[in-house]
Amino acid sequence: MTLQALEKGVYEREELLSGTDAVAEAIRLADIDVFSAYPIRPYTGVMDKLAKFIADGKFDAEYIIADGEHSQFEIAKHSSSVGARAFAGSSGTGWLYAMEALAATSTDRLPVVALVGNRALDDPGAFGVEHNDAMLVRDLGWLIVWAATAQEALDTTLIAYRVAEDPKVRMPCAVAIDGGYLTHSEHIVRVPTKEAVKRFLPPYDLGNRRLHPDNPISIAPQINEDWGMEIRRQNWEAAKRAIGVIYKAYQEFQDVFHSEYKNPFFDEFMTEDAETILVGMGTVTAAAKSAVRVLRRKGEKVGYIKLRWFRPFPATELKEALSRCKFVGVIDRDFAHGSPDHGGVLFNDLRAALYRSKNKPTVVDFIAGLAGREISIQDVTGMFKMTRESEDVEDADLVRWIRVRGSAKTEGGAD
Amino acid sequence: MSSLSQADVDALEVGVKRLEVNYRGIFQKSLAKRITKDLVYVAHSEGKTAFSNGRYSDDPQRNGIPCANFAHISDVMSEEELEGVASAAMDIDKANVIVVLDDTMVKGVEPWGHYGNRPINQKAIPGSVLLVVSKRKPEELVRFLEQKTFTYKIAVLPGIASFAGLWYYRDDGTDVRVLGAIAKVAPDIISLDKSKEYVKKTYGANKVEAVQQGYDSVSVREVQPTEGKVWPFAKPILPAWNNFEEGIAVPAIKRGFKMGPKGQNRNPNFKTGTNRTQRPIVRFDICTKCTLCWYECPDECFDPTQDGLYDINYDYCTGCGRCAEVCPVKECIVMVDELNFDNNNSPWESYKKDSQTYTNWAEEKKGKTRMMPSPVTGKGESYQEVAKPVPIATVKGRKEVS
Repeated sequence: MTLQALEKGVYEREELLSGTDAVAEAIRLADIDVFSAYPIRPYTGVMDKLAKFIADGKFDAEYIIADGEHSQFEIAKHSSSVGARAFAGSSGTGWLYAMEALAATSTDRLPVVALVGNRALDDPGAFGVEHNDAMLVRDLGWLIVWAATAQEALDTTLIAYRVAEDPKVRMPCAVAIDGGYLTHSEHIVRVPTKEAVKRFLPPYDLGNRRLHPDNPISIAPQINEDWGMEIRRQNWEAAKRAIGVIYKAYQEFQDVFHSEYKNPFFDEFMTEDAETILVGMGTVTAAAKSAVRVLRRKGEKVGYIKLRWFRPFPATELKEALSRCKFVGVIDRDFAHGSPDHGGVLFNDLRAALYRSKNKPTVVDFIAGLAGREISIQDVTGMFKMTRESEDVEDADLVRWIRVRGSAKTEGGAD
Repeated sequence: MSSLSQADVDALEVGVKRLEVNYRGIFQKSLAKRITKDLVYVAHSEGKTAFSNGRYSDDPQRNGIPCANFAHISDVMSEEELEGVASAAMDIDKANVIVVLDDTMVKGVEPWGHYGNRPINQKAIPGSVLLVVSKRKPEELVRFLEQKTFTYKIAVLPGIASFAGLWYYRDDGTDVRVLGAIAKVAPDIISLDKSKEYVKKTYGANKVEAVQQGYDSVSVREVQPTEGKVWPFAKPILPAWNNFEEGIAVPAIKRGFKMGPKGQNRNPNFKTGTNRTQRPIVRFDICTKCTLCWYECPDECFDPTQDGLYDINYDYCTGCGRCAEVCPVKECIVMVDELNFDNNNSPWESYKKDSQTYTNWAEEKKGKTRMMPSPVTGKGESYQEVAKPVPIATVKGRKEVS
């Protein structure tokens, strides 16, 4: 915390908070109107904290317990349509159960903010982190952002409302945080004052789209083939505009909170002269940065990019950042069955973004840390090594599974 | 690469015959499906290529809403070629035969996925045939049609509209009679012999006679460019993507109510009057003001008036018959053939202007036969002769509210 920030009364305290606690703090600070709940690990953490805030008289909102995730997200969607700032959240299989409501929230262009505590999809029943759950809305008009630390989870939730509710955007936003590694670990977090948050986050105003008896509108009617394309096109334009709004929101956030978010879309770590860069999302960042430090001490020109915003995908910015290096390795905490080269989702998106790039680096993929499996510093240094040696990589080695039992070639990453 | 000229596009169409079957949603769904299906089979048995489809935007159907099925037939193209020119479109632009399974649709059709009241002969081209199932003379139908700049034909197959329901098909022979009629008016599309052969094989020998009967009983006459009326329908201009509200939010109708005709605010862009085959005619003079018609109407078509009577907005009345069913006064609300009427004017206003004239007019329109359609009775239509009309009630003794 900077001295300057304390003096200005921007932060009220420092506290040891888990990732879900931090999100709950952000919800309180954003002064939401409707909180819709259905228990699932790790969203239960947010529910507990919010319930305590309300019980302690620290916060007031409609706290609605739904009969399932589908209803839970319907409640959030409908609340948002009448002008209430709404929050909902789930993870893994629960997030999927809400899918119909999720798709309608984005096509109805309602700026609900949702927490996805990333979790592997059942079956088998699993609680560990895997990014496939949040990614399932990637083509539906949701904004998706990954936070890697508890502080970032708090900040990002506030920023998510600022971006989602902007009249130029009005799209729902999923804040994704790694189940277990972030949701259930505690870190010292700076909690802003309500006044400061008010300066940053204007009140929610849906304008002439607010559903109210005095403003008779019909939302989401049945349409035929002569309307659908125009409506999709509107969605697309909003997603494009979101890029500019995200830049603006981070600038405003920095102005109020003096936080350091140099590039809203991704953090670059020692990439200036890097020959080999790994790209990842979420908590793998900690291990990845440590690996970079170790290898740098050995004189290796390596760097790491932590991607924050996955939708809209910052293709132009990444193209620019990666044009300087020769080898890129993607760490996918997800998978895309049957996709090109049988790689991960991030890998294929990133390769597509680089397709028209003049200085195309070699791109390889690492499927790692699925279903909550650890990714160690040694694993990451191993990935750096394999990426560095991928100049004449064979098709079969484009995508490698890290630490999967039974494959000598990819088992463990340690050199 | 050069793009296609209009001549190129027209050349693609050469040899394609199209039939449009207009029908009432739900009530004639199975009937219409059967006709287009039969057309394809008969054409196929003649060595032609054919396929049929329904207008996708008509689904999910509602009772009585005008819908359409199509059959596309060619004797020169391969199936793939035919589908190439015909299967990618949701609707057709022109038809060689336009079948109308309920004659009240000659007053215009407003399918629920489209805009405005369109003429039933919209897709007619020079030489095409409008084939109507009706007990009326061609002249009585032609006067409702849109005036065309060219000559085409109207054919009348004597009969009443065959109505069934969602879960049952009414096997009254209308399907095969229509097939026989098409063989007569468009022998270049299907032949009588092949139609009979197909019907015998598919539905049994006892249906073959009905094909012949349809063939024999259909009457055809030309429609000249001077006939019909100028149609006010203009295709709406749809806005560009950046020219309407985002979030699929559509301006709705502000709540509004005042006493009298058309006093309730209703959506001017979504009228439902063409769903109607019969309209309720009210004898205001014997009305007891019990409110049941107004209360029970599923489409809120009744407008309260100062004197306690209820006016009907025919632009929105779907002709469901519910008001006639619940009205406790005999002969007060009666459902009458829609083709007896020329406009949707307020009946209450006519009554207020001259109650005697209105009542005489209403009785004349009602005629002597009362029909309840099968969807209402659940046991098929029932007909009843009225011995003598209910005498006109004098205003004396009635408590009129001013």
